[in-house]
Amino acid sequence: MNALRDIALLVAKDLRVEARGRYTLPLLCVLGILFVTVLGLGLASRGDGVGPNAGAVLWVAYLFGGALCFEKTMAVDHRDDALAALLMTPIDRGVLFVSKWIANVLLLSVVAAVVTAASLLFLGLKVNASPSVFIRVTVLGLAGFAAVGTLFSGVVATTRMHGGLLAAVVFPLCLPLVLASARLLNDPQSIGVFGLGESVLVAFDLVFLAVGWLTFDLLLEA
Amino acid sequence: MLNQLTITNRWYWGATMVSLLAALAMTVWFAPLESSMGPIQKIFYLHLPAAINTFIAAFVVFAAGIRYLWTRDSRWDLLAESAARVVVLYCAVVLVTGMIWAHVAWGRWWTWSPRLTFSLIMLLLYVVYLAMRPAIESARRREVVSAVYGLLAFLDVPLVYLSVKLLPDIHPSSVELEPAMQATLAVWFVPISLLCVGLIAARYQLGAHGQSHAHLDHEHAPAAGFVGAGGGGRT
Repeated sequence: MNALRDIALLVAKDLRVEARGRYTLPLLCVLGILFVTVLGLGLASRGDGVGPNAGAVLWVAYLFGGALCFEKTMAVDHRDDALAALLMTPIDRGVLFVSKWIANVLLLSVVAAVVTAASLLFLGLKVNASPSVFIRVTVLGLAGFAAVGTLFSGVVATTRMHGGLLAAVVFPLCLPLVLASARLLNDPQSIGVFGLGESVLVAFDLVFLAVGWLTFDLLLEA
Repeated sequence: MLNQLTITNRWYWGATMVSLLAALAMTVWFAPLESSMGPIQKIFYLHLPAAINTFIAAFVVFAAGIRYLWTRDSRWDLLAESAARVVVLYCAVVLVTGMIWAHVAWGRWWTWSPRLTFSLIMLLLYVVYLAMRPAIESARRREVVSAVYGLLAFLDVPLVYLSVKLLPDIHPSSVELEPAMQATLAVWFVPISLLCVGLIAARYQLGAHGQSHAHLDHEHAPAAGFVGAGGGGRT
Protein backbone atom coordinates (compact mmCIF):
# COMPACT_ATOMS: atom_id res chain seq x y z
CA MET A 1 0.00 0.00 0.00
CA ASN A 2 2.89 2.34 0.78
CA ALA A 3 4.29 1.73 -2.70
CA LEU A 4 0.93 2.62 -4.28
CA ARG A 5 0.73 5.79 -2.18
CA ASP A 6 4.31 6.73 -3.17
CA ILE A 7 3.54 6.11 -6.83
CA ALA A 8 0.39 8.26 -6.63
CA LEU A 9 2.32 11.07 -4.90
CA LEU A 10 5.16 10.99 -7.43
CA VAL A 11 2.82 10.89 -10.45
CA ALA A 12 0.84 13.80 -8.98
CA LYS A 13 4.12 15.68 -8.46
CA ASP A 14 5.18 15.14 -12.09
CA LEU A 15 1.78 16.18 -13.43
CA ARG A 16 1.70 19.23 -11.14
CA VAL A 17 5.16 20.30 -12.35
CA GLU A 18 3.97 19.90 -15.93
CA ALA A 19 0.72 21.78 -15.29
CA ARG A 20 2.57 24.70 -13.67
CA GLY A 21 5.48 24.94 -16.08
CA ARG A 22 3.92 23.52 -19.28
CA TYR A 23 7.40 22.29 -20.26
CA THR A 24 6.37 19.34 -22.38
CA LEU A 25 2.75 18.93 -23.40
CA PRO A 26 2.11 22.07 -25.53
CA LEU A 27 5.35 21.49 -27.44
CA LEU A 28 4.55 17.80 -28.03
CA CYS A 29 1.02 18.54 -29.25
CA VAL A 30 2.24 21.16 -31.72
CA LEU A 31 5.00 18.79 -32.85
CA GLY A 32 2.47 15.95 -33.31
CA ILE A 33 0.24 18.14 -35.50
CA LEU A 34 3.31 19.22 -37.49
CA PHE A 35 4.31 15.57 -38.06
CA VAL A 36 0.82 14.75 -39.31
CA THR A 37 0.86 17.81 -41.58
CA VAL A 38 4.26 16.98 -43.07
CA LEU A 39 3.41 13.28 -43.55
CA GLY A 40 0.00 14.25 -44.95
CA LEU A 41 1.65 16.50 -47.54
CA GLY A 42 3.81 13.56 -48.59
CA LEU A 43 1.38 10.65 -48.35
CA ALA A 44 -2.20 11.87 -48.58
CA SER A 45 -1.97 14.91 -50.84
CA ARG A 46 -3.77 13.03 -53.62
CA GLY A 47 -6.91 13.02 -51.49
CA ASP A 48 -7.24 9.28 -50.92
CA GLY A 49 -6.05 9.39 -47.28
CA VAL A 50 -3.16 7.47 -45.76
CA GLY A 51 -4.99 4.15 -46.24
CA PRO A 52 -2.74 1.24 -45.27
CA ASN A 53 -0.03 3.60 -43.94
CA ALA A 54 -2.11 4.87 -41.01
CA GLY A 55 -0.28 2.82 -38.38
CA ALA A 56 3.13 3.92 -39.64
CA VAL A 57 2.09 7.61 -39.71
CA LEU A 58 0.84 7.47 -36.13
CA TRP A 59 3.95 5.67 -34.92
CA VAL A 60 6.33 8.16 -36.55
CA ALA A 61 4.56 10.90 -34.58
CA TYR A 62 4.54 8.83 -31.35
CA LEU A 63 8.21 7.87 -31.64
CA PHE A 64 9.65 11.33 -32.19
CA GLY A 65 7.18 12.99 -29.82
CA GLY A 66 7.86 10.31 -27.22
CA ALA A 67 11.65 10.68 -27.40
CA LEU A 68 11.25 14.40 -26.74
CA CYS A 69 8.72 13.73 -23.96
CA PHE A 70 11.02 11.32 -22.06
CA GLU A 71 13.95 13.69 -22.39
CA LYS A 72 12.02 16.72 -21.15
CA THR A 73 10.27 15.03 -18.23
CA MET A 74 13.62 13.74 -16.96
CA ALA A 75 15.33 17.09 -17.64
CA VAL A 76 12.81 18.75 -15.31
CA ASP A 77 14.00 16.46 -12.51
CA HIS A 78 17.67 16.99 -13.36
CA ARG A 79 17.22 20.77 -13.18
CA ASP A 80 18.40 22.18 -9.84
CA ASP A 81 19.40 18.64 -8.80
CA ALA A 82 15.78 17.73 -8.04
CA LEU A 83 16.54 14.14 -9.03
CA ALA A 84 19.43 13.96 -6.56
CA ALA A 85 17.07 15.14 -3.81
CA LEU A 86 14.50 12.56 -4.92
CA LEU A 87 17.13 9.81 -4.76
CA MET A 88 17.93 10.78 -1.17
CA THR A 89 14.36 10.02 -0.07
CA PRO A 90 13.64 6.48 1.22
CA ILE A 91 11.64 5.56 -1.86
CA ASP A 92 12.27 2.33 -3.73
CA ARG A 93 13.84 3.03 -7.14
CA GLY A 94 11.36 0.66 -8.76
CA VAL A 95 8.55 2.88 -7.43
CA LEU A 96 10.34 5.88 -8.94
CA PHE A 97 10.50 4.08 -12.29
CA VAL A 98 6.80 3.14 -12.23
CA SER A 99 5.74 6.68 -11.31
CA LYS A 100 7.85 8.19 -14.11
CA TRP A 101 6.47 5.56 -16.48
CA ILE A 102 2.84 6.36 -15.55
CA ALA A 103 3.45 10.11 -15.94
CA ASN A 104 5.03 9.51 -19.36
CA VAL A 105 2.15 7.23 -20.45
CA LEU A 106 -0.38 9.89 -19.43
CA LEU A 107 1.47 12.64 -21.32
CA LEU A 108 1.91 10.39 -24.38
CA SER A 109 -1.80 9.51 -24.27
CA VAL A 110 -2.70 13.19 -24.57
CA VAL A 111 -0.28 13.54 -27.49
CA ALA A 112 -1.74 10.38 -29.07
CA ALA A 113 -5.26 11.83 -28.75
CA VAL A 114 -4.16 15.06 -30.46
CA VAL A 115 -2.27 13.19 -33.21
CA THR A 116 -5.23 10.83 -33.78
CA ALA A 117 -7.65 13.76 -34.01
CA ALA A 118 -5.34 15.52 -36.48
CA SER A 119 -5.01 12.29 -38.51
CA LEU A 120 -8.81 11.84 -38.58
CA LEU A 121 -9.16 15.39 -39.83
CA PHE A 122 -6.25 15.72 -42.25
CA LEU A 123 -5.36 12.19 -43.32
CA GLY A 124 -8.72 10.46 -43.48
CA LEU A 125 -7.71 7.97 -40.78
CA LYS A 126 -10.51 5.44 -40.18
CA VAL A 127 -10.95 4.02 -36.68
CA ASN A 128 -14.74 3.55 -36.65
CA ALA A 129 -14.49 -0.08 -37.86
CA SER A 130 -13.10 -1.22 -34.50
CA PRO A 131 -12.40 1.69 -32.12
CA SER A 132 -11.90 -0.67 -29.15
CA VAL A 133 -9.05 -2.46 -30.97
CA PHE A 134 -7.54 0.89 -31.92
CA ILE A 135 -7.57 2.12 -28.32
CA ARG A 136 -6.30 -1.20 -26.91
CA VAL A 137 -3.42 -1.48 -29.38
CA THR A 138 -2.45 2.18 -28.97
CA VAL A 139 -2.44 1.99 -25.16
CA LEU A 140 -0.43 -1.27 -25.13
CA GLY A 141 2.03 0.20 -27.65
CA LEU A 142 2.50 3.47 -25.78
CA ALA A 143 2.90 1.62 -22.46
CA GLY A 144 5.79 -0.48 -23.82
CA PHE A 145 7.39 2.48 -25.58
CA ALA A 146 7.18 4.58 -22.39
CA ALA A 147 8.76 1.75 -20.36
CA VAL A 148 11.88 1.68 -22.58
CA GLY A 149 12.02 5.48 -22.87
CA THR A 150 11.64 6.05 -19.11
CA LEU A 151 14.35 3.50 -18.35
CA PHE A 152 17.00 5.15 -20.53
CA SER A 153 15.93 8.80 -20.18
CA GLY A 154 17.69 9.12 -16.81
CA VAL A 155 21.01 8.07 -18.29
CA VAL A 156 20.86 9.99 -21.52
CA ALA A 157 20.16 13.32 -19.79
CA THR A 158 23.74 13.32 -18.49
CA THR A 159 25.55 12.41 -21.72
CA ARG A 160 26.96 14.52 -24.52
CA MET A 161 24.34 13.53 -27.09
CA HIS A 162 21.08 14.05 -25.11
CA GLY A 163 17.95 13.53 -27.24
CA GLY A 164 19.73 12.12 -30.27
CA LEU A 165 21.20 9.33 -28.19
CA LEU A 166 17.87 8.58 -26.48
CA ALA A 167 16.18 8.13 -29.85
CA ALA A 168 19.05 5.95 -31.10
CA VAL A 169 18.90 3.74 -27.99
CA VAL A 170 15.13 3.47 -27.69
CA PHE A 171 13.99 3.11 -31.32
CA PRO A 172 15.73 -0.21 -32.16
CA LEU A 173 14.51 -1.78 -28.91
CA CYS A 174 10.96 -0.68 -29.75
CA LEU A 175 10.93 -2.03 -33.30
CA PRO A 176 9.00 -5.24 -32.43
CA LEU A 177 6.45 -3.07 -30.66
CA VAL A 178 6.16 -0.67 -33.60
CA LEU A 179 5.94 -3.53 -36.10
CA ALA A 180 3.18 -5.35 -34.20
CA SER A 181 1.27 -2.19 -33.32
CA ALA A 182 1.44 -0.64 -36.81
CA ARG A 183 0.36 -3.95 -38.31
CA LEU A 184 -2.70 -4.12 -36.03
CA LEU A 185 -3.58 -0.45 -36.54
CA ASN A 186 -3.40 -0.90 -40.31
CA ASP A 187 -5.55 -4.03 -40.25
CA PRO A 188 -7.66 -4.22 -37.05
CA GLN A 189 -9.54 -7.25 -38.40
CA SER A 190 -6.33 -9.33 -38.18
CA ILE A 191 -6.28 -9.12 -34.38
CA GLY A 192 -8.56 -12.14 -33.79
CA VAL A 193 -9.53 -12.95 -30.21
CA PHE A 194 -5.99 -12.57 -28.86
CA GLY A 195 -3.65 -12.89 -31.80
CA LEU A 196 0.12 -12.95 -32.21
CA GLY A 197 0.38 -9.16 -32.59
CA GLU A 198 -1.39 -8.41 -29.33
CA SER A 199 0.62 -11.14 -27.55
CA VAL A 200 3.84 -9.45 -28.71
CA LEU A 201 2.58 -6.12 -27.33
CA VAL A 202 1.66 -7.61 -23.94
CA ALA A 203 4.92 -9.60 -23.72
CA PHE A 204 6.95 -6.50 -24.62
CA ASP A 205 5.20 -4.42 -21.95
CA LEU A 206 5.72 -7.08 -19.27
CA VAL A 207 9.40 -7.70 -20.13
CA PHE A 208 10.37 -4.04 -20.25
CA LEU A 209 8.37 -3.05 -17.16
CA ALA A 210 9.97 -5.90 -15.19
CA VAL A 211 13.50 -5.07 -16.36
CA GLY A 212 12.86 -1.35 -15.79
CA TRP A 213 11.66 -2.01 -12.23
CA LEU A 214 14.76 -4.13 -11.51
CA THR A 215 17.45 -1.99 -13.18
CA PHE A 216 16.30 1.64 -12.90
CA ASP A 217 18.34 2.15 -9.71
CA LEU A 218 21.48 0.78 -11.39
CA LEU A 219 21.13 3.23 -14.26
CA LEU A 220 20.38 6.23 -12.04
CA GLU A 221 23.15 5.63 -9.52
CA ALA A 222 25.97 4.58 -11.86
CA MET B 1 40.49 -19.26 -21.05
CA LEU B 2 40.46 -16.03 -23.06
CA ASN B 3 43.88 -15.11 -21.71
CA GLN B 4 45.32 -18.48 -22.77
CA LEU B 5 43.86 -18.06 -26.25
CA THR B 6 46.32 -15.33 -27.20
CA ILE B 7 46.05 -13.33 -30.39
CA THR B 8 49.31 -14.84 -31.59
CA ASN B 9 48.46 -18.46 -30.76
CA ARG B 10 49.63 -20.10 -33.97
CA TRP B 11 47.95 -23.40 -33.26
CA TYR B 12 44.53 -21.82 -32.81
CA TRP B 13 44.65 -19.60 -35.86
CA GLY B 14 46.36 -22.33 -37.86
CA ALA B 15 43.51 -24.74 -37.06
CA THR B 16 41.01 -22.02 -38.01
CA MET B 17 42.71 -21.44 -41.36
CA VAL B 18 43.01 -25.18 -42.12
CA SER B 19 39.36 -25.82 -41.32
CA LEU B 20 38.33 -22.79 -43.40
CA LEU B 21 40.34 -24.05 -46.38
CA ALA B 22 38.86 -27.54 -45.93
CA ALA B 23 35.34 -26.07 -45.82
CA LEU B 24 35.99 -24.01 -48.96
CA ALA B 25 37.42 -27.03 -50.75
CA MET B 26 34.41 -29.15 -49.79
CA THR B 27 32.05 -26.40 -50.99
CA VAL B 28 33.77 -26.20 -54.40
CA TRP B 29 34.58 -29.86 -55.11
CA PHE B 30 32.56 -32.09 -52.78
CA ALA B 31 29.12 -30.53 -52.23
CA PRO B 32 26.78 -31.13 -55.20
CA LEU B 33 24.93 -28.35 -56.99
CA GLU B 34 21.37 -27.84 -55.76
CA SER B 35 19.01 -28.57 -58.64
CA SER B 36 16.63 -25.60 -58.46
CA MET B 37 18.89 -22.76 -57.20
CA GLY B 38 22.26 -23.75 -58.65
CA PRO B 39 25.60 -22.39 -57.34
CA ILE B 40 24.03 -19.60 -55.26
CA GLN B 41 22.70 -22.22 -52.84
CA LYS B 42 26.32 -22.72 -51.67
CA ILE B 43 26.17 -19.38 -49.89
CA PHE B 44 23.97 -21.20 -47.38
CA TYR B 45 27.07 -23.01 -45.98
CA LEU B 46 28.37 -19.65 -44.73
CA HIS B 47 24.96 -18.12 -44.00
CA LEU B 48 23.64 -20.65 -41.48
CA PRO B 49 26.81 -21.09 -39.32
CA ALA B 50 27.21 -17.29 -39.23
CA ALA B 51 23.57 -16.93 -38.10
CA ILE B 52 23.96 -19.54 -35.33
CA ASN B 53 27.20 -17.93 -34.13
CA THR B 54 25.51 -14.51 -34.11
CA PHE B 55 23.09 -15.85 -31.48
CA ILE B 56 25.94 -17.40 -29.50
CA ALA B 57 27.86 -14.10 -29.48
CA ALA B 58 24.65 -12.23 -28.52
CA PHE B 59 24.23 -14.67 -25.62
CA VAL B 60 27.82 -13.88 -24.53
CA VAL B 61 26.90 -10.14 -24.49
CA PHE B 62 23.84 -10.96 -22.38
CA ALA B 63 25.63 -13.31 -19.95
CA ALA B 64 28.68 -11.05 -19.56
CA GLY B 65 26.34 -8.10 -18.92
CA ILE B 66 24.55 -9.96 -16.15
CA ARG B 67 27.90 -11.06 -14.70
CA TYR B 68 29.10 -7.44 -14.82
CA LEU B 69 26.01 -6.20 -12.97
CA TRP B 70 26.64 -8.92 -10.37
CA THR B 71 30.37 -8.36 -9.84
CA ARG B 72 31.04 -4.83 -11.21
CA ASP B 73 34.26 -6.22 -12.69
CA SER B 74 35.20 -4.23 -15.81
CA ARG B 75 36.57 -7.34 -17.51
CA TRP B 76 33.01 -8.62 -18.01
CA ASP B 77 32.07 -5.35 -19.69
CA LEU B 78 35.08 -5.72 -21.95
CA LEU B 79 34.04 -9.26 -22.83
CA ALA B 80 30.48 -8.08 -23.59
CA GLU B 81 31.78 -5.28 -25.81
CA SER B 82 34.11 -7.70 -27.64
CA ALA B 83 31.22 -10.11 -28.25
CA ALA B 84 28.96 -7.26 -29.42
CA ARG B 85 31.51 -6.39 -32.12
CA VAL B 86 31.41 -9.98 -33.31
CA VAL B 87 27.59 -9.94 -33.27
CA VAL B 88 27.64 -6.91 -35.58
CA LEU B 89 30.23 -8.50 -37.88
CA TYR B 90 28.48 -11.87 -38.10
CA CYS B 91 25.02 -10.33 -38.40
CA ALA B 92 26.32 -8.19 -41.28
CA VAL B 93 27.63 -11.38 -42.93
CA VAL B 94 24.22 -13.04 -42.46
CA LEU B 95 22.46 -10.01 -43.89
CA VAL B 96 24.79 -9.61 -46.89
CA THR B 97 24.75 -13.32 -47.77
CA GLY B 98 20.96 -13.31 -47.38
CA MET B 99 20.66 -10.30 -49.67
CA ILE B 100 22.91 -11.89 -52.32
CA TRP B 101 20.78 -15.03 -52.16
CA ALA B 102 17.58 -12.93 -52.34
CA HIS B 103 18.85 -11.05 -55.39
CA VAL B 104 19.36 -14.31 -57.28
CA ALA B 105 16.30 -16.15 -55.96
CA TRP B 106 13.73 -13.33 -55.91
CA GLY B 107 15.31 -10.78 -58.30
CA ARG B 108 15.72 -8.00 -55.73
CA TRP B 109 18.28 -7.19 -53.07
CA TRP B 110 15.79 -6.48 -50.32
CA THR B 111 12.32 -7.63 -49.37
CA TRP B 112 10.57 -7.19 -46.01
CA SER B 113 10.55 -10.91 -45.41
CA PRO B 114 10.51 -11.85 -41.69
CA ARG B 115 14.00 -13.36 -41.70
CA LEU B 116 15.69 -10.46 -43.49
CA THR B 117 13.84 -7.97 -41.28
CA PHE B 118 14.84 -9.97 -38.19
CA SER B 119 18.53 -9.86 -39.20
CA LEU B 120 18.34 -6.13 -39.89
CA ILE B 121 16.73 -5.33 -36.52
CA MET B 122 19.26 -7.51 -34.70
CA LEU B 123 22.11 -5.73 -36.48
CA LEU B 124 20.63 -2.34 -35.51
CA LEU B 125 20.28 -3.39 -31.86
CA TYR B 126 23.97 -4.24 -31.52
CA VAL B 127 25.22 -1.36 -33.68
CA VAL B 128 23.45 0.94 -31.21
CA TYR B 129 25.09 -0.97 -28.32
CA LEU B 130 28.50 -0.06 -29.75
CA ALA B 131 27.55 3.44 -30.93
CA MET B 132 26.19 4.64 -27.58
CA ARG B 133 29.26 3.65 -25.57
CA PRO B 134 31.56 6.54 -26.57
CA ALA B 135 28.74 9.03 -25.83
CA ILE B 136 28.78 8.16 -22.12
CA GLU B 137 31.77 9.86 -20.51
CA SER B 138 31.87 8.11 -17.13
CA ALA B 139 33.42 4.63 -17.44
CA ARG B 140 31.30 3.20 -14.63
CA ARG B 141 28.09 4.59 -16.10
CA ARG B 142 29.02 3.38 -19.58
CA GLU B 143 29.56 -0.14 -18.26
CA VAL B 144 26.27 -0.25 -16.34
CA VAL B 145 24.22 1.21 -19.22
CA SER B 146 25.86 -1.17 -21.70
CA ALA B 147 25.14 -4.16 -19.46
CA VAL B 148 21.46 -3.21 -19.10
CA TYR B 149 21.17 -2.49 -22.82
CA GLY B 150 22.84 -5.82 -23.70
CA LEU B 151 20.36 -7.58 -21.39
CA LEU B 152 17.38 -5.82 -22.99
CA ALA B 153 18.67 -6.34 -26.54
CA PHE B 154 18.92 -10.09 -25.95
CA LEU B 155 15.45 -10.23 -24.35
CA ASP B 156 14.17 -8.24 -27.34
CA VAL B 157 15.38 -10.88 -29.83
CA PRO B 158 12.47 -13.36 -29.31
CA LEU B 159 10.00 -10.47 -29.48
CA VAL B 160 11.53 -9.32 -32.75
CA TYR B 161 11.28 -12.91 -34.00
CA LEU B 162 7.58 -13.09 -33.09
CA SER B 163 6.75 -9.64 -34.47
CA VAL B 164 8.36 -10.25 -37.87
CA LYS B 165 6.16 -13.34 -38.19
CA LEU B 166 3.33 -10.86 -38.78
CA LEU B 167 4.97 -9.93 -42.09
CA PRO B 168 4.21 -11.96 -45.22
CA ASP B 169 6.96 -14.57 -45.71
CA ILE B 170 8.49 -15.76 -48.98
CA HIS B 171 11.62 -17.14 -47.32
CA PRO B 172 12.04 -20.96 -47.44
CA SER B 173 11.03 -22.32 -44.02
CA SER B 174 13.10 -25.51 -44.28
CA VAL B 175 15.84 -26.72 -46.60
CA GLU B 176 16.31 -30.38 -47.47
CA LEU B 177 19.98 -31.27 -47.86
CA GLU B 178 21.66 -34.29 -49.39
CA PRO B 179 24.16 -36.12 -47.12
CA ALA B 180 27.15 -34.52 -48.94
CA MET B 181 25.59 -31.09 -48.39
CA GLN B 182 24.99 -31.87 -44.71
CA ALA B 183 28.64 -32.92 -44.29
CA THR B 184 29.83 -29.68 -45.95
CA LEU B 185 27.55 -27.61 -43.73
CA ALA B 186 28.84 -29.43 -40.63
CA VAL B 187 32.46 -28.71 -41.65
CA TRP B 188 31.64 -25.00 -42.17
CA PHE B 189 30.53 -24.74 -38.53
CA VAL B 190 34.13 -25.44 -37.40
CA PRO B 191 35.99 -22.43 -38.90
CA ILE B 192 33.08 -20.04 -38.38
CA SER B 193 32.80 -21.00 -34.69
CA LEU B 194 36.58 -20.93 -34.19
CA LEU B 195 36.71 -17.51 -35.84
CA CYS B 196 33.87 -16.28 -33.59
CA VAL B 197 35.65 -17.34 -30.38
CA GLY B 198 39.03 -16.17 -31.72
CA LEU B 199 37.76 -12.72 -32.65
CA ILE B 200 36.05 -12.24 -29.27
CA ALA B 201 39.27 -13.35 -27.52
CA ALA B 202 41.46 -11.13 -29.70
CA ARG B 203 39.31 -8.07 -29.11
CA TYR B 204 39.13 -8.83 -25.38
CA GLN B 205 42.90 -9.06 -25.14
CA LEU B 206 43.43 -5.84 -27.08
CA GLY B 207 40.98 -4.11 -24.74
CA ALA B 208 42.63 -5.57 -21.64
CA HIS B 209 46.02 -4.46 -22.96
CA GLY B 210 44.64 -0.93 -23.43
CA GLN B 211 43.23 -0.97 -19.91
CA SER B 212 46.53 -2.00 -18.35
CA HIS B 213 48.31 0.79 -20.26
CA ALA B 214 45.69 3.23 -19.02
CA HIS B 215 46.36 2.12 -15.43
CA LEU B 216 50.11 2.60 -15.96
CA ASP B 217 49.51 6.08 -17.40
CA HIS B 218 47.34 6.86 -14.41
CA GLU B 219 50.00 5.71 -11.93
CA HIS B 220 52.88 7.57 -13.63
CA ALA B 221 51.01 10.77 -14.48
CA PRO B 222 51.81 14.00 -12.58
CA ALA B 223 49.51 14.73 -9.66
CA ALA B 224 47.70 17.55 -11.46
CA GLY B 225 46.40 17.32 -15.02
CA PHE B 226 47.04 14.83 -17.82
CA VAL B 227 45.49 11.97 -15.82
CA GLY B 228 43.74 9.43 -18.04
CA ALA B 229 44.88 11.09 -21.27
CA GLY B 230 45.89 7.76 -22.76
CA GLY B 231 43.15 5.68 -21.21
CA GLY B 232 40.13 6.71 -23.19
CA GLY B 233 38.29 7.26 -19.94
CA ARG B 234 38.37 3.57 -18.99
CA THR B 235 40.06 3.42 -15.59
